[in-house]
Amino acid sequence: MDNNQSESILKVSDLCVQYGIFKAVKEVSFDVRKGEIFGLLGPNGAGKTSTLSAIEGLIEYQSGTVIVDGHNAKEKPLYARAAMGVQLQSTSFQPELKVSEILQLFAGIYGVKLTNEKLTAILKDISLEDAAGKRFGQLSGGQQQRVSLVISTIHNPRLVLLDEPTTGLDPQSRRQLWERIEAIRERGHAVVLTTHSMEEAESVCDRIGIIDHGKVITIDTPQALIEKHKNDPEVIAVSRKGRVTLEDVFIALTGKEVRA
Amino acid sequence: MEETIIPKTSTVLAALLKADFTTLWRNRRAVVMVFLVPIVILVSWKDLVAKMGAAFALSNSLTYGLIAIGLMGYTNSIARDRDKGIFQRLRVAPAPNWTIMMSRIFVQLSMIALVTTAIFVVGYDYDKITLTPTGYALTYLTAIVGGAVYLALGQVIVGLIKNPETVNSTSRLVYFTFVIVGMFGGMGMLGKQVEQMTQWSPYGTVKTIMAAGMVPGSWTMDTTNALLVTLGYTLVFAVIGIKNFKWNTK
Repeated sequence: MDNNQSESILKVSDLCVQYGIFKAVKEVSFDVRKGEIFGLLGPNGAGKTSTLSAIEGLIEYQSGTVIVDGHNAKEKPLYARAAMGVQLQSTSFQPELKVSEILQLFAGIYGVKLTNEKLTAILKDISLEDAAGKRFGQLSGGQQQRVSLVISTIHNPRLVLLDEPTTGLDPQSRRQLWERIEAIRERGHAVVLTTHSMEEAESVCDRIGIIDHGKVITIDTPQALIEKHKNDPEVIAVSRKGRVTLEDVFIALTGKEVRA
Repeated sequence: MEETIIPKTSTVLAALLKADFTTLWRNRRAVVMVFLVPIVILVSWKDLVAKMGAAFALSNSLTYGLIAIGLMGYTNSIARDRDKGIFQRLRVAPAPNWTIMMSRIFVQLSMIALVTTAIFVVGYDYDKITLTPTGYALTYLTAIVGGAVYLALGQVIVGLIKNPETVNSTSRLVYFTFVIVGMFGGMGMLGKQVEQMTQWSPYGTVKTIMAAGMVPGSWTMDTTNALLVTLGYTLVFAVIGIKNFKWNTK
Protein backbone atom coordinates (compact mmCIF):
# COMPACT_ATOMS: atom_id res chain seq x y z
CA MET A 1 0.00 0.00 0.00
CA ASP A 2 1.47 3.39 -0.92
CA ASN A 3 1.45 6.56 1.16
CA ASN A 4 -1.54 7.86 -0.75
CA GLN A 5 -3.61 5.01 0.66
CA SER A 6 -2.45 5.26 4.26
CA GLU A 7 -4.75 8.19 5.07
CA SER A 8 -7.85 6.92 6.83
CA ILE A 9 -11.11 8.34 5.42
CA LEU A 10 -13.44 6.27 7.60
CA LYS A 11 -12.60 5.04 11.07
CA VAL A 12 -15.13 2.95 12.95
CA SER A 13 -14.19 2.05 16.52
CA ASP A 14 -16.05 -0.25 18.93
CA LEU A 15 -19.38 0.45 17.25
CA CYS A 16 -22.40 -1.01 19.06
CA VAL A 17 -25.97 -0.91 17.68
CA GLN A 18 -28.87 -2.26 19.66
CA TYR A 19 -32.58 -2.65 18.77
CA GLY A 20 -34.40 -3.10 22.08
CA ILE A 21 -32.58 -5.97 23.72
CA PHE A 22 -31.17 -7.31 20.43
CA LYS A 23 -27.53 -6.41 19.86
CA ALA A 24 -27.19 -6.11 16.07
CA VAL A 25 -23.63 -4.73 16.01
CA LYS A 26 -21.11 -5.61 18.71
CA GLU A 27 -17.93 -3.56 19.05
CA VAL A 28 -17.23 -3.43 15.34
CA SER A 29 -13.98 -1.70 14.37
CA PHE A 30 -12.40 -1.12 10.98
CA ASP A 31 -10.97 1.66 8.93
CA VAL A 32 -11.08 2.49 5.24
CA ARG A 33 -8.25 4.31 3.57
CA LYS A 34 -7.98 6.78 0.75
CA GLY A 35 -8.12 5.10 -2.66
CA GLU A 36 -9.42 1.84 -1.24
CA ILE A 37 -12.50 -0.28 -1.92
CA PHE A 38 -13.49 -2.01 1.28
CA GLY A 39 -16.07 -4.80 1.15
CA LEU A 40 -18.29 -5.61 4.09
CA LEU A 41 -19.45 -9.20 3.76
CA GLY A 42 -21.76 -11.27 5.89
CA PRO A 43 -24.81 -13.53 5.76
CA ASN A 44 -28.33 -12.07 6.02
CA GLY A 45 -28.85 -10.40 9.39
CA ALA A 46 -25.13 -10.36 10.18
CA GLY A 47 -25.15 -6.62 10.90
CA LYS A 48 -23.82 -5.17 7.63
CA THR A 49 -26.71 -2.82 6.92
CA SER A 50 -26.95 -1.83 10.61
CA THR A 51 -23.24 -0.94 10.57
CA LEU A 52 -23.67 1.04 7.36
CA SER A 53 -26.83 2.75 8.66
CA ALA A 54 -24.99 3.83 11.81
CA ILE A 55 -22.18 5.31 9.70
CA GLU A 56 -24.74 7.08 7.49
CA GLY A 57 -26.51 8.54 10.51
CA LEU A 58 -29.80 6.74 9.83
CA ILE A 59 -29.80 4.93 13.16
CA GLU A 60 -28.52 5.86 16.59
CA TYR A 61 -25.62 3.82 17.85
CA GLN A 62 -25.29 3.13 21.54
CA SER A 63 -21.51 3.35 21.80
CA GLY A 64 -18.36 3.60 19.76
CA THR A 65 -17.15 6.27 17.37
CA VAL A 66 -17.49 6.89 13.66
CA ILE A 67 -15.06 9.35 12.12
CA VAL A 68 -15.70 10.37 8.51
CA ASP A 69 -12.95 12.39 6.89
CA GLY A 70 -11.94 13.68 10.32
CA HIS A 71 -15.50 14.51 11.43
CA ASN A 72 -17.10 12.69 14.35
CA ALA A 73 -20.46 11.51 12.95
CA LYS A 74 -22.22 12.00 16.28
CA GLU A 75 -20.83 15.43 17.07
CA LYS A 76 -20.82 16.85 13.53
CA PRO A 77 -23.42 14.80 11.64
CA LEU A 78 -23.90 17.30 8.81
CA TYR A 79 -20.17 17.51 8.13
CA ALA A 80 -19.89 13.73 8.18
CA ARG A 81 -22.84 13.39 5.78
CA ALA A 82 -21.45 16.09 3.50
CA ALA A 83 -18.17 14.16 3.27
CA MET A 84 -19.87 10.95 2.20
CA GLY A 85 -22.02 9.79 -0.68
CA VAL A 86 -24.54 7.05 -0.07
CA GLN A 87 -26.38 4.55 -2.20
CA LEU A 88 -28.98 2.78 -0.10
CA GLN A 89 -30.06 -0.83 -0.59
CA SER A 90 -33.45 0.17 -1.96
CA THR A 91 -33.18 3.69 -3.25
CA SER A 92 -36.36 5.51 -4.12
CA PHE A 93 -37.04 9.00 -5.27
CA GLN A 94 -40.30 10.88 -5.65
CA PRO A 95 -41.97 8.98 -8.51
CA GLU A 96 -43.39 12.23 -9.89
CA LEU A 97 -39.92 13.70 -10.49
CA LYS A 98 -37.97 13.31 -13.72
CA VAL A 99 -34.35 12.11 -13.72
CA SER A 100 -33.04 15.64 -14.39
CA GLU A 101 -35.16 17.01 -11.53
CA ILE A 102 -33.88 14.36 -9.14
CA LEU A 103 -30.30 15.26 -10.06
CA GLN A 104 -31.06 18.94 -9.53
CA LEU A 105 -32.67 18.21 -6.15
CA PHE A 106 -29.65 16.36 -4.84
CA ALA A 107 -27.20 18.81 -6.37
CA GLY A 108 -29.03 21.52 -4.43
CA ILE A 109 -29.01 19.54 -1.19
CA TYR A 110 -25.25 18.92 -1.53
CA GLY A 111 -24.67 22.56 -2.50
CA VAL A 112 -23.43 21.73 -5.99
CA LYS A 113 -24.15 24.18 -8.78
CA LEU A 114 -25.59 22.16 -11.64
CA THR A 115 -25.74 23.98 -14.95
CA ASN A 116 -27.62 22.52 -17.90
CA GLU A 117 -24.29 21.71 -19.57
CA LYS A 118 -23.07 19.88 -16.48
CA LEU A 119 -26.36 18.02 -16.17
CA THR A 120 -26.12 16.90 -19.80
CA ALA A 121 -22.51 15.82 -19.28
CA ILE A 122 -23.46 13.76 -16.21
CA LEU A 123 -26.29 12.03 -18.07
CA LYS A 124 -24.03 11.41 -21.06
CA ASP A 125 -21.39 9.91 -18.79
CA ILE A 126 -23.89 7.33 -17.53
CA SER A 127 -25.32 6.80 -21.03
CA LEU A 128 -28.66 8.27 -20.07
CA GLU A 129 -28.67 11.46 -22.13
CA ASP A 130 -32.09 10.53 -23.55
CA ALA A 131 -33.55 9.78 -20.12
CA ALA A 132 -33.48 13.30 -18.64
CA GLY A 133 -37.22 13.66 -19.11
CA LYS A 134 -38.08 10.18 -17.89
CA ARG A 135 -39.33 9.42 -14.40
CA PHE A 136 -37.08 7.29 -12.20
CA GLY A 137 -39.62 4.44 -12.15
CA GLN A 138 -39.53 4.24 -15.95
CA LEU A 139 -35.82 3.32 -15.97
CA SER A 140 -34.50 -0.25 -16.01
CA GLY A 141 -32.79 -1.66 -12.92
CA GLY A 142 -29.33 -1.00 -14.34
CA GLN A 143 -30.25 2.55 -15.33
CA GLN A 144 -31.69 3.22 -11.87
CA GLN A 145 -28.48 1.98 -10.25
CA ARG A 146 -26.42 4.27 -12.49
CA VAL A 147 -28.56 7.25 -11.54
CA SER A 148 -28.32 6.33 -7.85
CA LEU A 149 -24.55 6.01 -8.07
CA VAL A 150 -24.13 9.30 -9.88
CA ILE A 151 -26.29 11.01 -7.25
CA SER A 152 -24.21 9.54 -4.45
CA THR A 153 -21.06 11.00 -6.04
CA ILE A 154 -22.52 14.27 -7.37
CA HIS A 155 -20.67 16.29 -4.69
CA ASN A 156 -17.37 14.46 -5.21
CA PRO A 157 -17.35 12.92 -1.71
CA ARG A 158 -14.23 11.49 -0.09
CA LEU A 159 -16.16 8.41 1.04
CA VAL A 160 -18.80 6.49 -0.90
CA LEU A 161 -21.02 3.93 0.83
CA LEU A 162 -22.78 1.42 -1.40
CA ASP A 163 -25.24 -1.04 0.09
CA GLU A 164 -25.52 -4.06 -2.21
CA PRO A 165 -25.18 -1.92 -5.36
CA THR A 166 -25.29 -4.75 -7.91
CA THR A 167 -28.19 -6.78 -6.54
CA GLY A 168 -30.58 -7.72 -9.33
CA LEU A 169 -28.37 -6.50 -12.16
CA ASP A 170 -27.50 -8.51 -15.27
CA PRO A 171 -23.79 -9.38 -15.81
CA GLN A 172 -23.27 -6.50 -18.26
CA SER A 173 -24.73 -3.89 -15.94
CA ARG A 174 -22.83 -5.37 -13.02
CA ARG A 175 -19.50 -5.20 -14.84
CA GLN A 176 -20.23 -1.63 -15.88
CA LEU A 177 -21.02 -0.69 -12.29
CA TRP A 178 -17.79 -2.30 -11.10
CA GLU A 179 -15.88 -0.11 -13.55
CA ARG A 180 -17.65 2.94 -12.18
CA ILE A 181 -16.82 1.95 -8.62
CA GLU A 182 -13.19 1.40 -9.60
CA ALA A 183 -13.17 4.83 -11.26
CA ILE A 184 -14.20 6.33 -7.91
CA ARG A 185 -11.17 4.63 -6.34
CA GLU A 186 -8.93 5.93 -9.13
CA ARG A 187 -9.95 9.46 -8.17
CA GLY A 188 -8.52 8.77 -4.70
CA HIS A 189 -11.81 8.32 -2.90
CA ALA A 190 -12.63 5.56 -0.47
CA VAL A 191 -15.48 3.14 -1.12
CA VAL A 192 -17.29 0.83 1.29
CA LEU A 193 -19.63 -1.67 -0.26
CA THR A 194 -21.69 -4.50 1.09
CA THR A 195 -22.37 -7.47 -1.11
CA HIS A 196 -23.49 -11.07 -1.10
CA SER A 197 -21.46 -11.75 -4.22
CA MET A 198 -18.08 -13.29 -3.43
CA GLU A 199 -17.13 -12.85 -7.07
CA GLU A 200 -17.76 -9.13 -6.69
CA ALA A 201 -15.79 -8.92 -3.46
CA GLU A 202 -12.86 -10.80 -4.99
CA SER A 203 -12.89 -8.76 -8.21
CA VAL A 204 -13.46 -5.28 -6.88
CA CYS A 205 -12.45 -5.02 -3.21
CA ASP A 206 -8.95 -4.25 -2.02
CA ARG A 207 -9.78 -5.47 1.46
CA ILE A 208 -12.79 -7.17 2.92
CA GLY A 209 -14.22 -7.48 6.39
CA ILE A 210 -16.39 -10.49 7.18
CA ILE A 211 -19.04 -9.74 9.74
CA ASP A 212 -21.31 -12.26 11.45
CA HIS A 213 -23.61 -12.12 14.47
CA GLY A 214 -22.75 -8.42 14.73
CA LYS A 215 -19.01 -8.99 15.06
CA VAL A 216 -16.12 -8.60 12.66
CA ILE A 217 -14.58 -12.06 12.23
CA THR A 218 -11.70 -11.08 9.99
CA ILE A 219 -10.33 -8.27 7.83
CA ASP A 220 -7.80 -8.76 5.05
CA THR A 221 -7.30 -8.72 1.30
CA PRO A 222 -9.30 -11.40 -0.55
CA GLN A 223 -6.11 -13.21 -1.60
CA ALA A 224 -4.61 -13.10 1.89
CA LEU A 225 -7.82 -14.55 3.33
CA ILE A 226 -7.77 -17.41 0.85
CA GLU A 227 -4.08 -18.04 1.55
CA LYS A 228 -4.61 -17.93 5.31
CA HIS A 229 -7.52 -20.37 5.34
CA LYS A 230 -6.96 -22.62 2.31
CA ASN A 231 -5.71 -25.51 4.41
CA ASP A 232 -8.37 -25.27 7.13
CA PRO A 233 -10.33 -28.55 7.25
CA GLU A 234 -13.64 -26.61 7.30
CA VAL A 235 -12.66 -24.75 4.14
CA ILE A 236 -11.57 -27.89 2.31
CA ALA A 237 -14.81 -29.60 3.38
CA VAL A 238 -16.98 -26.91 1.73
CA SER A 239 -14.77 -26.40 -1.33
CA ARG A 240 -16.58 -27.38 -4.55
CA LYS A 241 -14.36 -26.44 -7.47
CA GLY A 242 -11.16 -28.27 -6.65
CA ARG A 243 -9.58 -24.99 -5.61
CA VAL A 244 -10.33 -22.79 -2.61
CA THR A 245 -12.35 -19.67 -3.38
CA LEU A 246 -13.32 -16.69 -1.26
CA GLU A 247 -16.83 -18.16 -1.04
CA ASP A 248 -15.42 -21.35 0.50
CA VAL A 249 -13.58 -19.31 3.13
CA PHE A 250 -16.71 -17.23 3.76
CA ILE A 251 -18.94 -20.32 4.19
CA ALA A 252 -16.40 -21.97 6.46
CA LEU A 253 -16.10 -18.88 8.65
CA THR A 254 -19.80 -18.06 8.89
CA GLY A 255 -21.32 -21.55 8.78
CA LYS A 256 -23.42 -23.46 6.26
CA GLU A 257 -26.84 -22.86 7.76
CA VAL A 258 -29.22 -20.62 5.83
CA ARG A 259 -30.04 -17.31 7.59
CA ALA A 260 -33.44 -15.68 7.60
CA MET B 1 -7.12 17.22 4.27
CA GLU B 2 -9.68 18.93 2.05
CA GLU B 3 -12.22 21.14 3.75
CA THR B 4 -15.74 19.71 3.95
CA ILE B 5 -18.31 22.25 2.81
CA ILE B 6 -21.78 22.25 4.31
CA PRO B 7 -24.40 23.63 1.93
CA LYS B 8 -26.34 26.67 3.12
CA THR B 9 -29.68 25.83 4.75
CA SER B 10 -31.40 28.22 2.33
CA THR B 11 -29.92 26.30 -0.64
CA VAL B 12 -31.08 22.98 0.81
CA LEU B 13 -34.56 24.33 1.52
CA ALA B 14 -34.83 25.86 -1.95
CA ALA B 15 -33.96 22.50 -3.56
CA LEU B 16 -36.45 20.63 -1.38
CA LEU B 17 -39.21 23.19 -1.99
CA LYS B 18 -38.69 23.06 -5.75
CA ALA B 19 -38.98 19.26 -5.71
CA ASP B 20 -42.00 19.26 -3.38
CA PHE B 21 -43.88 21.88 -5.41
CA THR B 22 -43.10 19.94 -8.60
CA THR B 23 -44.48 16.80 -6.96
CA LEU B 24 -47.61 18.71 -5.95
CA TRP B 25 -48.05 20.04 -9.48
CA ARG B 26 -47.71 16.58 -10.99
CA ASN B 27 -50.42 15.39 -8.56
CA ARG B 28 -52.79 18.14 -9.60
CA ARG B 29 -55.69 15.76 -10.18
CA ALA B 30 -55.65 14.84 -6.49
CA VAL B 31 -55.24 18.52 -5.62
CA VAL B 32 -58.41 19.34 -7.56
CA MET B 33 -60.35 17.09 -5.17
CA VAL B 34 -59.11 19.14 -2.22
CA PHE B 35 -60.52 22.25 -3.89
CA LEU B 36 -63.69 20.60 -5.11
CA VAL B 37 -65.23 19.51 -1.80
CA PRO B 38 -65.34 22.95 -0.08
CA ILE B 39 -66.40 24.64 -3.33
CA VAL B 40 -69.25 22.19 -3.88
CA ILE B 41 -70.39 22.72 -0.28
CA LEU B 42 -70.24 26.51 -0.67
CA VAL B 43 -72.21 26.42 -3.90
CA SER B 44 -74.81 24.00 -2.54
CA TRP B 45 -75.32 26.15 0.56
CA LYS B 46 -76.36 29.19 -1.49
CA ASP B 47 -79.71 29.41 0.29
CA LEU B 48 -78.04 29.25 3.71
CA VAL B 49 -75.96 32.33 2.98
CA ALA B 50 -79.03 34.55 3.25
CA LYS B 51 -80.31 32.68 6.30
CA MET B 52 -77.13 32.03 8.35
CA GLY B 53 -74.80 34.68 6.93
CA ALA B 54 -71.83 34.67 4.58
CA ALA B 55 -69.32 34.01 7.36
CA PHE B 56 -71.16 30.80 8.27
CA ALA B 57 -71.04 29.41 4.73
CA LEU B 58 -67.47 30.51 4.02
CA SER B 59 -66.04 29.32 7.35
CA ASN B 60 -67.74 25.92 7.08
CA SER B 61 -66.64 25.21 3.54
CA LEU B 62 -63.14 26.49 4.23
CA THR B 63 -62.88 24.23 7.29
CA TYR B 64 -63.66 21.21 5.07
CA GLY B 65 -60.88 22.30 2.73
CA LEU B 66 -58.42 22.59 5.61
CA ILE B 67 -59.37 19.14 6.91
CA ALA B 68 -58.84 17.66 3.44
CA ILE B 69 -55.39 19.27 3.13
CA GLY B 70 -54.21 18.11 6.56
CA LEU B 71 -55.74 14.67 6.65
CA MET B 72 -55.68 13.60 3.03
CA GLY B 73 -52.88 15.55 1.32
CA TYR B 74 -50.19 15.88 3.95
CA THR B 75 -50.77 12.59 5.76
CA ASN B 76 -50.85 10.39 2.69
CA SER B 77 -47.83 12.02 1.04
CA ILE B 78 -45.75 11.55 4.20
CA ALA B 79 -46.90 7.92 4.61
CA ARG B 80 -46.13 7.08 0.97
CA ASP B 81 -42.69 8.70 0.88
CA ARG B 82 -41.72 7.12 4.18
CA ASP B 83 -42.76 3.70 2.93
CA LYS B 84 -40.80 4.12 -0.31
CA GLY B 85 -37.63 5.14 1.53
CA ILE B 86 -37.62 8.63 0.02
CA PHE B 87 -37.01 10.26 3.40
CA GLN B 88 -34.12 7.91 4.18
CA ARG B 89 -32.41 8.91 0.93
CA LEU B 90 -32.81 12.58 1.84
CA ARG B 91 -31.61 12.00 5.39
CA VAL B 92 -28.25 10.55 4.35
CA ALA B 93 -27.56 13.86 2.58
CA PRO B 94 -26.53 16.92 4.60
CA ALA B 95 -30.14 18.10 4.86
CA PRO B 96 -31.22 18.64 8.47
CA ASN B 97 -34.36 16.64 9.28
CA TRP B 98 -36.32 19.78 10.02
CA THR B 99 -35.73 21.14 6.51
CA ILE B 100 -37.28 18.01 4.98
CA MET B 101 -40.45 18.46 7.06
CA MET B 102 -40.46 22.25 6.80
CA SER B 103 -40.53 22.00 3.03
CA ARG B 104 -43.50 19.59 3.14
CA ILE B 105 -45.38 21.81 5.61
CA PHE B 106 -44.67 24.95 3.58
CA VAL B 107 -46.21 23.28 0.50
CA GLN B 108 -49.34 22.48 2.54
CA LEU B 109 -49.52 26.03 3.92
CA SER B 110 -49.40 27.30 0.35
CA MET B 111 -52.26 24.94 -0.45
CA ILE B 112 -54.21 26.45 2.47
CA ALA B 113 -53.66 29.94 1.06
CA LEU B 114 -54.76 28.76 -2.40
CA VAL B 115 -57.90 27.01 -1.12
CA THR B 116 -58.78 30.12 0.92
CA THR B 117 -58.37 32.27 -2.18
CA ALA B 118 -60.47 29.85 -4.25
CA ILE B 119 -63.25 29.97 -1.65
CA PHE B 120 -63.19 33.78 -1.68
CA VAL B 121 -63.34 33.84 -5.49
CA VAL B 122 -66.19 31.31 -5.69
CA GLY B 123 -68.00 32.99 -2.79
CA TYR B 124 -67.88 36.32 -4.62
CA ASP B 125 -68.62 34.93 -8.04
CA TYR B 126 -71.52 32.73 -6.99
CA ASP B 127 -72.99 34.38 -3.90
CA LYS B 128 -71.54 37.91 -4.21
CA ILE B 129 -69.91 37.48 -0.79
CA THR B 130 -67.42 40.22 0.03
CA LEU B 131 -65.40 40.93 3.16
CA THR B 132 -63.53 43.98 4.40
CA PRO B 133 -59.77 44.09 3.70
CA THR B 134 -59.18 43.30 7.41
CA GLY B 135 -61.63 40.42 7.09
CA TYR B 136 -59.70 38.95 4.16
CA ALA B 137 -56.36 39.36 5.93
CA LEU B 138 -57.64 37.87 9.20
CA THR B 139 -59.22 34.95 7.35
CA TYR B 140 -55.89 34.07 5.72
CA LEU B 141 -54.30 34.21 9.16
CA THR B 142 -56.98 32.12 10.87
CA ALA B 143 -56.94 29.64 7.97
CA ILE B 144 -53.21 29.12 8.56
CA VAL B 145 -53.81 28.69 12.32
CA GLY B 146 -56.74 26.36 11.64
CA GLY B 147 -54.89 24.43 8.95
CA ALA B 148 -52.07 23.82 11.44
CA VAL B 149 -54.47 21.82 13.65
CA TYR B 150 -55.26 19.41 10.84
CA LEU B 151 -51.64 19.15 9.73
CA ALA B 152 -50.76 18.30 13.34
CA LEU B 153 -53.62 15.79 13.46
CA GLY B 154 -52.28 14.27 10.24
CA GLN B 155 -48.88 14.10 11.93
CA VAL B 156 -50.49 12.12 14.78
CA ILE B 157 -51.85 9.61 12.26
CA VAL B 158 -48.48 9.10 10.51
CA GLY B 159 -46.78 9.10 13.90
CA LEU B 160 -48.91 6.30 15.29
CA ILE B 161 -49.49 4.26 12.12
CA LYS B 162 -46.71 3.07 9.82
CA ASN B 163 -48.51 1.16 7.07
CA PRO B 164 -49.43 3.61 4.26
CA GLU B 165 -52.68 1.81 3.40
CA THR B 166 -53.78 1.95 7.04
CA VAL B 167 -52.78 5.62 7.18
CA ASN B 168 -54.88 6.25 4.07
CA SER B 169 -57.98 4.49 5.39
CA THR B 170 -57.63 6.03 8.86
CA SER B 171 -57.26 9.55 7.48
CA ARG B 172 -60.33 9.03 5.26
CA LEU B 173 -62.31 7.76 8.23
CA VAL B 174 -61.30 10.72 10.38
CA TYR B 175 -62.01 13.09 7.46
CA PHE B 176 -65.54 11.81 6.91
CA THR B 177 -66.20 11.80 10.67
CA PHE B 178 -65.23 15.47 10.76
CA VAL B 179 -67.36 16.27 7.72
CA ILE B 180 -70.48 14.43 8.92
CA VAL B 181 -70.31 15.34 12.60
CA GLY B 182 -69.24 18.88 11.75
CA MET B 183 -72.02 19.40 9.25
CA PHE B 184 -74.91 17.81 11.12
CA GLY B 185 -73.65 18.12 14.68
CA GLY B 186 -72.67 21.74 14.24
CA MET B 187 -76.19 22.61 13.11
CA GLY B 188 -77.73 20.85 16.11
CA MET B 189 -79.24 18.03 14.04
CA LEU B 190 -77.63 15.39 16.28
CA GLY B 191 -78.79 16.89 19.59
CA LYS B 192 -77.68 19.65 21.90
CA GLN B 193 -74.86 17.65 23.47
CA VAL B 194 -73.24 16.77 20.13
CA GLU B 195 -73.65 20.38 19.02
CA GLN B 196 -71.75 21.58 22.09
CA MET B 197 -69.06 18.93 21.63
CA THR B 198 -68.72 19.86 17.96
CA GLN B 199 -68.37 23.52 18.90
CA TRP B 200 -65.27 22.78 20.99
CA SER B 201 -63.88 20.06 18.73
CA PRO B 202 -61.03 20.92 16.31
CA TYR B 203 -63.73 21.35 13.67
CA GLY B 204 -65.80 23.77 15.75
CA THR B 205 -63.00 25.93 17.12
CA VAL B 206 -61.43 26.37 13.68
CA LYS B 207 -64.79 27.26 12.18
CA THR B 208 -65.42 29.75 15.01
CA ILE B 209 -62.13 31.61 14.62
CA MET B 210 -62.48 31.74 10.85
CA ALA B 211 -66.04 33.04 11.00
CA ALA B 212 -64.93 35.73 13.44
CA GLY B 213 -61.88 36.50 11.33
CA MET B 214 -64.14 37.21 8.35
CA VAL B 215 -66.17 39.71 10.36
CA PRO B 216 -63.61 41.14 12.81
CA GLY B 217 -66.32 43.13 14.63
CA SER B 218 -67.94 39.88 15.76
CA TRP B 219 -64.83 38.70 17.64
CA THR B 220 -65.89 37.86 21.23
CA MET B 221 -64.41 36.25 24.32
CA ASP B 222 -65.71 32.91 23.02
CA THR B 223 -63.69 33.42 19.82
CA THR B 224 -60.55 34.10 21.85
CA ASN B 225 -61.22 30.91 23.83
CA ALA B 226 -61.73 29.02 20.55
CA LEU B 227 -58.39 30.40 19.31
CA LEU B 228 -56.63 29.26 22.50
CA VAL B 229 -58.24 25.82 22.29
CA THR B 230 -57.18 25.60 18.61
CA LEU B 231 -53.59 26.43 19.54
CA GLY B 232 -53.82 23.88 22.37
CA TYR B 233 -55.01 21.15 19.99
CA THR B 234 -52.19 22.00 17.58
CA LEU B 235 -49.57 21.81 20.32
CA VAL B 236 -50.84 18.51 21.75
CA PHE B 237 -51.25 16.88 18.31
CA ALA B 238 -47.84 18.13 17.15
CA VAL B 239 -46.07 16.82 20.25
CA ILE B 240 -47.74 13.38 19.97
CA GLY B 241 -47.18 13.25 16.21
CA ILE B 242 -43.54 14.34 16.24
CA LYS B 243 -42.63 12.24 19.29
CA ASN B 244 -43.98 9.04 17.74
CA PHE B 245 -42.86 9.73 14.18
CA LYS B 246 -40.38 7.30 12.61
CA TRP B 247 -38.56 8.10 9.39
CA ASN B 248 -38.85 4.57 8.10
CA THR B 249 -41.47 1.83 8.29
CA LYS B 250 -39.15 -0.91 9.60
